[in-house]
Amino acid sequence: MTIGVHAPILAIAVPLLGAFALPVFAKVHRSLRDLWAIAVGAFTCAMVITVAVQTFTSGIQVYTLGAAAPTDTIASGGFPIRIMLVVDGMSAFMGLISALVGLASLVYAFHFLKEEQGKTLAMTLFFLLWAGMLGMEYTGDMFNFFVFLEVTSIAACSLVGYRTWESRPAEAAFKTMALYTVGGLLVLLAIGILYGEYGALNIAYLSSKITGSQLDKIALGLLLGGLLMKVGAVPAHMWAPDAYGEAPAQAAIMLVANTQASLYGLWRVLFTLFGGALSAPAVGWLVTSLGVLTLLVAVLMAVVQTDLGRLIAYGAVSQIGYMLLGVGVGLTVLPSRPDWGLVAMKGGIFHMVNDAATIGLLFLAAGVVKRAVGTRDLRALGGLGHDLKWTSGFFFLGALALAGIPPLNGFASKFLIYESSFRLSPILTAIAVLGSILLLAVFARAFQGAFLGPRLREAKPASPSMLVAMGVLAAVILAMGLVPGFFVEHMVTPAAEALWRGRDLYLAAVLGG
Amino acid sequence: MRLVTGQGYWSPLVWLALAAGVALLAWAFWSRGRRTYKAGTEQDQPFLSGERAPEGAHVGAPHLYWGFAQALQPVMDWLRAFHSGFLGDYVTWMVVLLAVALLVVVLT
Repeated sequence: MTIGVHAPILAIAVPLLGAFALPVFAKVHRSLRDLWAIAVGAFTCAMVITVAVQTFTSGIQVYTLGAAAPTDTIASGGFPIRIMLVVDGMSAFMGLISALVGLASLVYAFHFLKEEQGKTLAMTLFFLLWAGMLGMEYTGDMFNFFVFLEVTSIAACSLVGYRTWESRPAEAAFKTMALYTVGGLLVLLAIGILYGEYGALNIAYLSSKITGSQLDKIALGLLLGGLLMKVGAVPAHMWAPDAYGEAPAQAAIMLVANTQASLYGLWRVLFTLFGGALSAPAVGWLVTSLGVLTLLVAVLMAVVQTDLGRLIAYGAVSQIGYMLLGVGVGLTVLPSRPDWGLVAMKGGIFHMVNDAATIGLLFLAAGVVKRAVGTRDLRALGGLGHDLKWTSGFFFLGALALAGIPPLNGFASKFLIYESSFRLSPILTAIAVLGSILLLAVFARAFQGAFLGPRLREAKPASPSMLVAMGVLAAVILAMGLVPGFFVEHMVTPAAEALWRGRDLYLAAVLGG
Repeated sequence: MRLVTGQGYWSPLVWLALAAGVALLAWAFWSRGRRTYKAGTEQDQPFLSGERAPEGAHVGAPHLYWGFAQALQPVMDWLRAFHSGFLGDYVTWMVVLLAVALLVVVLT
């Protein structure tokens, strides 16, 4: 039996083990800790890529824990009672996003984090968060989804607030933890309702049984409430700028990826778990409306920010709006017009990876700025381009991509969203385009303020590992911008198809038949 | 590689070729202009609104779009109040979102 068969569980178990073993290695020697971190990071990425290749070439991957063989999904009583991982096109796509962001974060952290400022703790929490995200994306079981959701919540809040010598991170972590707890309880309550009704936790089994009863609808409403908060949809988005803005750069990009893992959870609930009993247009309009509201409110708030980190944080929230808009339009029109509904979904899903790369790059560049001059206050910054040439270039590239300027990747995904949302309602497209124009203005202002003009102070240059991490994300932005058709055909379309038409395949992979 | 959208397609390479053509045209116009610029002279000095800018003057980020922000002041004030920073408000708005989601799902 090859290692590829066990790749789904290894992708989760290795970073989990990596997290708990890392402080032990750090006690022995820092070099040993760093070697361990590199080994765990490389192995995790290799496993995620293996899973993705297997899924895109051979179809859905199922891995059952505790069974004689990983593919034995049904126990002796004819019931899928064991914990299992189910990786379809969407899960594999999300795993790749997590791997990309995790890799960039890890490489960046090596020189960004200081030993005396909790480097070991931050790296431990990073691996815990990474494992939780991959667990959320690969699990085929609702209770395990909740468990991994909580793992990510605890790790994410700790990453925001571990710098206890500062007051603002602790406050941001507390607020985020409070909301994550309430959101997590809503998700747990919904899972409890479904378990009470059907006596099962397996997603495929539940999906085959859910009929759309009043209790089912209440469970769906609770799941929507909890997950929409976790993704940062307006009006429950307020924790996001606090958390993103106060987290150190290498953690902020992991928080963005974590938000997308929750977005994945939302798609899984809507398309797979409730795919057979959902009033798609009504829920689609809800998601679409929240998307438009989110992008508009977040962009307007970004206009008046004076802290570079919070400005990028509001930019990140606005991008969630585009994803909600794309998939919301898809959900609304798929029953009646699947052709352009699928285009909308591709746009929303493609924007997830684009957002991870562009917002990630911007956060990393902001981290370089903070490290270089000790502040991210735009009122005090200026002329950093003289000393931080590469960082200026990376920030500029990320800003253009985020605003959807052709030929970069942000334009490709937004183009799909604009075109399909226009057919549902031109007003949606008008607001989405206005949001992009405002984003361009916001980031032009940030770039002018921070990087252009005369040199106001000496800036400490970025270290090689930080430049490499930003370079990786910049390369992804350029590649996905210049050959979007390749990525859409080989990664995004399988993901969108898995949600739209893949429910029956998902159920068959687990339940047989 | 082209991105087919259902209504048409998007080709970054075609766009880059067009952009290169426009850049070439712009360069052709520029190259026919006067060649009186001399580096290191007062032509290098920055001006702000027609006045010689003081040493180290920088048009910082808060100075940009002040007119836009001014015009939208009532909206921005409301949005700022909406983002109060109080945890109680955060939870309240989350409950509002939950209520809307439940209403939409249960009533449809």
